[in-house]
Amino acid sequence: MDQIYIPKNRYGFSVGSPVIIKSLEEERIIEKPYFYNINYIEPIKLDIINKIINIIDKNYSYENVIFTGSFLDKGFNFEDIDVLLITESDADIKEKIESTIGIKTHIISIDNKTLIKGLSTDPIYIMMLSKCISRKRFIYDVKTEMNYKLLDLHLLKSKTLIDNFDILNGSEKYYLTRNLISIYIYANSKKISKEIVDNEIKKIFDVGVKEIKENILNKKIFLGKYKDIYGKTFKELIRHIKNGSK
Amino acid sequence: MVQNRNKLIDLFIGNISNSVVHKILEKAVENEYLSKRYEKELTTSFEIAKKCREKINPGSSLPDKDIKHIKNKIKNKVISELSMRISNGYKNINLELVDKIIEEYLKEANII
Repeated sequence: MDQIYIPKNRYGFSVGSPVIIKSLEEERIIEKPYFYNINYIEPIKLDIINKIINIIDKNYSYENVIFTGSFLDKGFNFEDIDVLLITESDADIKEKIESTIGIKTHIISIDNKTLIKGLSTDPIYIMMLSKCISRKRFIYDVKTEMNYKLLDLHLLKSKTLIDNFDILNGSEKYYLTRNLISIYIYANSKKISKEIVDNEIKKIFDVGVKEIKENILNKKIFLGKYKDIYGKTFKELIRHIKNGSK
Repeated sequence: MVQNRNKLIDLFIGNISNSVVHKILEKAVENEYLSKRYEKELTTSFEIAKKCREKINPGSSLPDKDIKHIKNKIKNKVISELSMRISNGYKNINLELVDKIIEEYLKEANII
């Protein structure tokens, strides 16, 4: 049992009396967040999510808070918590959250217009919101707009893996592979979600996400397939650019 | 050791070239939302290039001969990547930016 010390001779508090210590600041009861394509989340993670929402609620005005990324996957194999804060202003709240919950947090403040633009042109955004927990209900019925130059730009990042296979760690390899495969699927006008991309990675490379993250790959086989898909995707994008698409 | 150094220089050149191409394409795309992309997870070429630089002659400058070699190779790689796109009908690529951005990045990576 914890002990507290108060000055002597306080009426009603003799030594050893049990007491209740309670914060003067009442914790707000948060409404249950909305789950998108999440069947299960550990209760402790939900507590963390509620704590983060509480901190943001007290400090910022916003349109929505969305939690995404590996934090929502089963288990505790996440590196940080990804928080998408839909707001018109830049929110400088990272330190406050990290010092309260003690977990590395990655916050991106974005306005609604930019998010909608991202959802219409960028597979990473579509993938991100395909599995998330949101403070408020949202419906983004966005029409896909194929911007092949933009996809070419995003694809270029995945070239990093080809040149630096030996020096990248497993997580870096996974994220670069995921970027490549999401563009590969998207450019072929197919439906995209985190699950679809992860399944496609397994199908193409014959290794699971776990093996990639743990960096236990056969370099020759993996890189051979990676280069092949990279080349095919690049050709597809260039073909569209050549035909005058955006 | 010499072999390692050469490999590091090659890695540095490859990664800086990729960063320069990326920067020039970014200007060609002119999409307002680009700066806000949710991309923290992607390891950028420039970060890797900086790590390579730290391992090549740490804390001291490179010989002029190496600097010249690095600059030339980066320029050739960048021009080749961009020209391939231009010849396929990619518009708005400004080749005049190449030298300026290479200088900028090499300064930031403590090469010049």
